[in-house]
Amino acid sequence: MRNLASLLFAGGLGFLLMVFGLQFDFGNAPMLVGQAIQSAAPEQVGAANIVTAVVLGYRGIDTLGELAILFAASTAVGLILGHRHTSTKPDPDSGLILRAGGELLMPLLLVVGLYIILHGHLTPGGGFQGGVILAAAFFIPVLARPSTPLKHTGMMLIEGFSGAAFILIGLAALYSGGEFLQPLLDKGTLGNLVSAGTLPLLYLAVGLKVGAELAGLLAHLAAAEVSES
Amino acid sequence: MTLFGLEITLDLILYTGAFGLIVIGAAGIVLAHHLFRVILALAIAEAGANLLLVLSGYRWDAIAPILSGSESAAPMVDPVPQAMVLTAIVIGVGVQALAVGLAMQVKKTYGTLDMSAIRQRLEADIAGTAGIATTGSQDAPLGERPLPPADAVPVTPGSSAR
Amino acid sequence: MNQIVLIVVLPLLAAFLVPIVARMSASLGAALGPLVMGVCLWITGTVAIESAGNAFAINIGGFMPPLGITFFVDRLALLFAFLTALLVLVLWPFQGEHRPREHALTLILAAASGGLALSGDLFNIYVFYELVSVASVGLVATGRRSSAPAIRYLILSGFGSVLALVGIALVYTQTGTLNLAHLSQLAPTHLINPIGLAAFALILLGVGVKAELFPVNTWVPEVYATAPNRVSALLAGLVSKLAALVILRLLVLVFAQEQALLVMLLLGLLGVITGELAAWRAQDMNRMLAYSSIGQLGMVFVAFSIPGETGVFAGLAIALHHLVVKPALFLLAARWGGALSGLAGAAGGNLPAALLFTLFALSLVGVPPLPGFWAKLLLVMGLAEQVGPLYHFALAGILIATVVEANYLFRIVSTLFHRDSPA
Repeated sequence: MRNLASLLFAGGLGFLLMVFGLQFDFGNAPMLVGQAIQSAAPEQVGAANIVTAVVLGYRGIDTLGELAILFAASTAVGLILGHRHTSTKPDPDSGLILRAGGELLMPLLLVVGLYIILHGHLTPGGGFQGGVILAAAFFIPVLARPSTPLKHTGMMLIEGFSGAAFILIGLAALYSGGEFLQPLLDKGTLGNLVSAGTLPLLYLAVGLKVGAELAGLLAHLAAAEVSES
Repeated sequence: MTLFGLEITLDLILYTGAFGLIVIGAAGIVLAHHLFRVILALAIAEAGANLLLVLSGYRWDAIAPILSGSESAAPMVDPVPQAMVLTAIVIGVGVQALAVGLAMQVKKTYGTLDMSAIRQRLEADIAGTAGIATTGSQDAPLGERPLPPADAVPVTPGSSAR
Repeated sequence: MNQIVLIVVLPLLAAFLVPIVARMSASLGAALGPLVMGVCLWITGTVAIESAGNAFAINIGGFMPPLGITFFVDRLALLFAFLTALLVLVLWPFQGEHRPREHALTLILAAASGGLALSGDLFNIYVFYELVSVASVGLVATGRRSSAPAIRYLILSGFGSVLALVGIALVYTQTGTLNLAHLSQLAPTHLINPIGLAAFALILLGVGVKAELFPVNTWVPEVYATAPNRVSALLAGLVSKLAALVILRLLVLVFAQEQALLVMLLLGLLGVITGELAAWRAQDMNRMLAYSSIGQLGMVFVAFSIPGETGVFAGLAIALHHLVVKPALFLLAARWGGALSGLAGAAGGNLPAALLFTLFALSLVGVPPLPGFWAKLLLVMGLAEQVGPLYHFALAGILIATVVEANYLFRIVSTLFHRDSPA
């Protein structure tokens, strides 16, 4: 009975939403703010990737909130799951193929991740995407060799200091007479690696923070294994 | 092309996908019995909402909002919904990570991930800490084993109670 | 005057650094949080004096609106920013074991609440709202046996945020902008249609999870019963009011339509009725306070649904009164946590606490000359002036709810001061 009622509700909701959806003018976005940003972004921000200009420039404080959400989630998981249970026996090391593959993959993933982070203002990509790849790079050795756990202290230091670096760059703008998170430094030539002022630095901070955070989160979840009852 | 009298256009397919994902997620959250499936349903609903948000910035025959060296005057899609979806995806990842961590803690505390069992034990927990009597349910009056019916089953002649 | 943005930034900076600082020196880590909240309190005070009652806007990043995000700082925003810093400082986890992660989460909650009070951009509000959500779930889960209520709260809140995101997408397809001021200019032409109403309903349900709106308030009794009382006080007192403030801003600026007001009136009235009736039947203190909170917030929504200034004033009066009284009640109830029947004669043990409880309970019901009376009077007079059967029905509902409230609160007070020992 409950299932039927829920399915009816879901079906009704879906029908209602579709009725609205078909009234949209698909493909002709109003582009009010989008158009203004497209014309202003090259001079104001100097990044070739306009989405990065929006994420780090025009909506920089949204990105700060997003970083804080990841930090809050990671901190909350650490708070909830408590300390690692040193009494539980860690899993045995994986076979030769996984260990060797992990050792080969980790530097490759680091390079790819850093590439995507540093080129975030030129091509699609950026701090969050590259940060996830970095997290995978940090975490694969833990998967291959569960007996050597992740260095939590190092992760925590990277996480805290890169988050603080993001805010301090924004505060530096505030204290040099502008507003919080105003673009500093020279804009450079559009399309170069060194361009768009502080944007690559901000994305670097974001990438390192996300990478360390997700790796620490995964390590916490892996270490707090619960025995199946 | 028409199907059941409805014209199949691109936006119909896309909006069906987006709203369909949201509705599937909603149904999953309400109907699922296992806590992990509820979390998965939430992830599906979030994916649907993100898809809907990206669709709101599309323009016909427009290119990606990246300035290449050639100053082509081609129109670009709206960059703002893409930035919004970047943020929304990361927010969704944070929420899902927290949900998985909480699910592990629930498993440790209650020993099960079945939603109805968790609800019952939660009710008993709260009543216990508050020091009030648990209201029993019809199906399990004393908490676990249902009592046999009040009228005893009549012993038929020929069967002996060994 | 643009240092007001620091009330959002400084607690975040402190939250990022607290785990590192606490590892080096535990006492410094413990002192960092209250210190930063004190600085935020001081900043809010100086900006309030400097601005002298005039509203002003800050462009984050120096980008002109509607391209960038603006913080709109009027007297209401400053008041809520001040109350945020004050409440977080008062309800800070001073006792108990020092856990740097808990301090970090409380600081993040403070930063996000400040951002919610100040922000003038639709998606920025959504980001800060999610931040409040994650931080509060983390804090709720610190209680013993509170992981199950916490995950139910998280799932409900997560689905609410999906609905809110769909609402934001609907608004964006119609208008193409996210700035609240810009939206209020475009609303008469672009949003007075079924799509606008649907967007309002979706955002109302989404943000209403925190504001304990009917029907998305099923999380309230379980969470308040199992979370630490300090955290329940913060949630019921601060976070729910901020969510109501966000809904008010959206209602007044963007969705000023009659049907939107009717939707809010209906949901608020249902919340009042169900909340007060459930509180009447509740048998333990925390859940009674939780259901009473639902009822009071329902009254806030009924007040906001009255068109014009009287509705806004009545709603804000009830909200601010509740913001002070409910955390106090939760903290007082912490020493008496448990079944209501076990409270007999508890006043003998601690007379000042019992007297305070009685005072706050009387104010909640609305006994003159306590402030709760004036807040409810504004609401009742505002409702009486309206034409329309639903408003008069709401008036009757509120009066009946007040009678029910008086019944269960006086029942508790009389149990507290009960002289005879139980036979």
